Amino acid sequence: MAEQGLEGSQPVDLTKHPSGIVPTLQNIVSTVNLDCKLDLKAIALQARNAEYNPKACYLYTPPQPLFPSFLSVFKRFAAVIMRIREPKTTALIFASGKMVCTGAKSETQSKLAARKYARIIQKLGFPAKFKDFKIQNIVGSCDVKFPIRLEGLAYSHGAFSSYEPELFPGLIYRMKQPKIVLLIFVSGKIVLTGAKVVRDETYTAFENIYPVLTEFRKNQQCFDLIIGEQLVISYAHFHIHVLKACYEEWGFTSYHSTE
Amino acid sequence: MSSSNSCTQCKSKSLVRDDVTGHLVCETCGLLQEFDSFEAHFGGISGPQGTFVRVGTSGTGTLFNYKEKKVYEAQKFIDDIVYKLGLSGSKSNDVKSMVATITDGEYGQGHWFTIFVGACAYVVMRKDNKSLPMAEVSSVIGSDEFELGRMVYRVVEFQNLKRTEDYPEFDIISSFERWLRNSRSFAGVGEDEKERMRKQGIFLIQCMVKWSLTTGRRPLPVIVAVLVFVGELNQVKVKIEDIAKEVHAKVYTSKARYRELLNALVKVAQALPWGKDVTVKNIMKNAPFVIQYMEKKSMSNPGGKEKRDLESLRLDLEDMVSECLTKGFDNGTDLVCREDYSRYFKVDFDEKSALVSGGDMENFMLSPECLSMVYAKVSSEVGNGIFANEGNEVYSREICDFDFRVCTEWWTGESELSKKLLLKQILEKDVGLEALPPSFVAGCKVYEKRREKISAAKQRIDRIMLPLIAGSDDNRSISCVDDLQPRKKRKGAKVDVISWEDLIIETLLLHQVKEEEIEKGHYNTLMDLYVFNSGIVPKITG
Repeated sequence: MAEQGLEGSQPVDLTKHPSGIVPTLQNIVSTVNLDCKLDLKAIALQARNAEYNPKACYLYTPPQPLFPSFLSVFKRFAAVIMRIREPKTTALIFASGKMVCTGAKSETQSKLAARKYARIIQKLGFPAKFKDFKIQNIVGSCDVKFPIRLEGLAYSHGAFSSYEPELFPGLIYRMKQPKIVLLIFVSGKIVLTGAKVVRDETYTAFENIYPVLTEFRKNQQCFDLIIGEQLVISYAHFHIHVLKACYEEWGFTSYHSTE
Repeated sequence: MSSSNSCTQCKSKSLVRDDVTGHLVCETCGLLQEFDSFEAHFGGISGPQGTFVRVGTSGTGTLFNYKEKKVYEAQKFIDDIVYKLGLSGSKSNDVKSMVATITDGEYGQGHWFTIFVGACAYVVMRKDNKSLPMAEVSSVIGSDEFELGRMVYRVVEFQNLKRTEDYPEFDIISSFERWLRNSRSFAGVGEDEKERMRKQGIFLIQCMVKWSLTTGRRPLPVIVAVLVFVGELNQVKVKIEDIAKEVHAKVYTSKARYRELLNALVKVAQALPWGKDVTVKNIMKNAPFVIQYMEKKSMSNPGGKEKRDLESLRLDLEDMVSECLTKGFDNGTDLVCREDYSRYFKVDFDEKSALVSGGDMENFMLSPECLSMVYAKVSSEVGNGIFANEGNEVYSREICDFDFRVCTEWWTGESELSKKLLLKQILEKDVGLEALPPSFVAGCKVYEKRREKISAAKQRIDRIMLPLIAGSDDNRSISCVDDLQPRKKRKGAKVDVISWEDLIIETLLLHQVKEEEIEKGHYNTLMDLYVFNSGIVPKITG
């Protein structure tokens, strides 16, 4: 299929990713200053891909209060919410001319999307510029494909970790250098967030934590040992065989008949 | 004013005031004028002397200044919360001093202060390794658990309780012990029985810790599951709903943990000779065997130096079997030989090589008392002709009626897992099963499913792009496609052979996305990165 000229994913650079795992970037949040005051009502009336509800906004009450305080605060929002399809992103545009762009999957996509929003604002008649574009947060995720003993990790890395199963199933690891927060789950899935400027911070954070995770890897080979051991302990079970036989059936004739 | 200086009857101006009563009287007609000499009963120069009120004293009418009143109210409030939480006097003082330290003696008022006091109470108890779940605190203070959690986090940060020694993790064992002690469901249980249940519960909880059934899970539903299990094991009638309500756990989650515990025990039971017959439905009947097996296993020392006398063990077993057989014949029963049960006697005495590599056999031996009791029970039933010449149905019923749980001798409580151990020690123990976390297993299954979908998609692509080569694999491809059909079919719903997921996978494969990346299942991300690629759709040339 190479002759079709399609873009494909690149092979993993092991010098950069010794673990062989590259975290997938899931969300890029960026900000930009359009450097002009905006009439949000006018934007909302002219642009069809915009929502604006500064007074009474959509109030979502979840059936179970998972994030009650967060969602119930969202009664109203003093920004225009604008969406575009390519790159599939959402922007929050404020009256001050500041804009937040979320949902992009790469830094370039985020910048491209921000430019597209700025162009839309320009077309609506505002003298929008494109100042101080900055990546504010990069969220990535990956799977190490082995289960992790969170209790052990929390115990030995107590200074950086917060593991409160009463509140959250994952372990929150606040790495100092690079300054990244990692959410580590028992299933081996990892979420990395807090990277600014470049994605390399996310990658470095993962490469830093990977050896630690392997240290607290739950042994998987034990399954095989157990299966093998069943044969070994068959002798011991003989007592239980007899018990079971008594319990289920007075079947000594069965044994006798095989003699 | 003029009217007031003249008599209301004769209009005479000669009004005089009576010295005794102070009332105004007309000298001409003698009419007593309307009352006009009101004097306040209290206050004034000639009034009675009142109580001098000083700021800061107690009693009715006291005036505190704002801060003193706030502090007083706050302390009263702390006392109230601490009382409701059932904390001791010393703990109450600890909470007060913590509140005072953190607020710099300012205390506080309002909703945030309620949560703050709850958080301080939680942290004080946890620092001392005492059981006080967050759910219980939040129900007492009437706030959201997550709101309380955020405050707890801030208190912990402020107090700089980073080290595990200062701020240990939530103690599930002591929490279990507390609920077993205090729960109304176990109120009528005797002390000895409770002690046995306590040890069994601790044993099971630590097994669950080992099997990662507690990792990343709320501890309270686990406690409920174990309480219910040990209750049933010891013939205490308990309802999971009642205990969950008492413990402040969600019923649904508690039931899920209970199911997981049963499933894990069923997996352990597979090591038993009749393991294939053990299911979630009959695991309670088999639980004594399973737990006894786990207990013995945990007491075994896989790396120990003890040598087994294999020959003597073999002779012991043979003697026992022959003895049992003799007794069986003595009863003169005419039992039908059933093929299903013959496997219980299939013990290969010549498997010496296998035995050499195994654990200590003596540790697995059941107690002779238990064995003899079972034997006596069954032989008496045989003697009564219960089994003789009866149909399978009746026979099965009799089996079900026999409950080994009434026998308590199977439980010794000697295993170290019946005492509270450190995580490391728990992990070192062998309880007959090394389970992987359910979420990990579920993840593996999802990966496997995606791999199948990817291979099916590749075959479909090959079939279209290279029909001649792929022609021979048609049957296989079709079978793969068939596998993709949703298993649950709703009535009236249109069932597509290929789902949206398959089409996305095909698209991604056509855009040369690596299979390892597709396996992860981040379809939206991959579509954005490789398919739509910033709005530039690549041309597919045929």
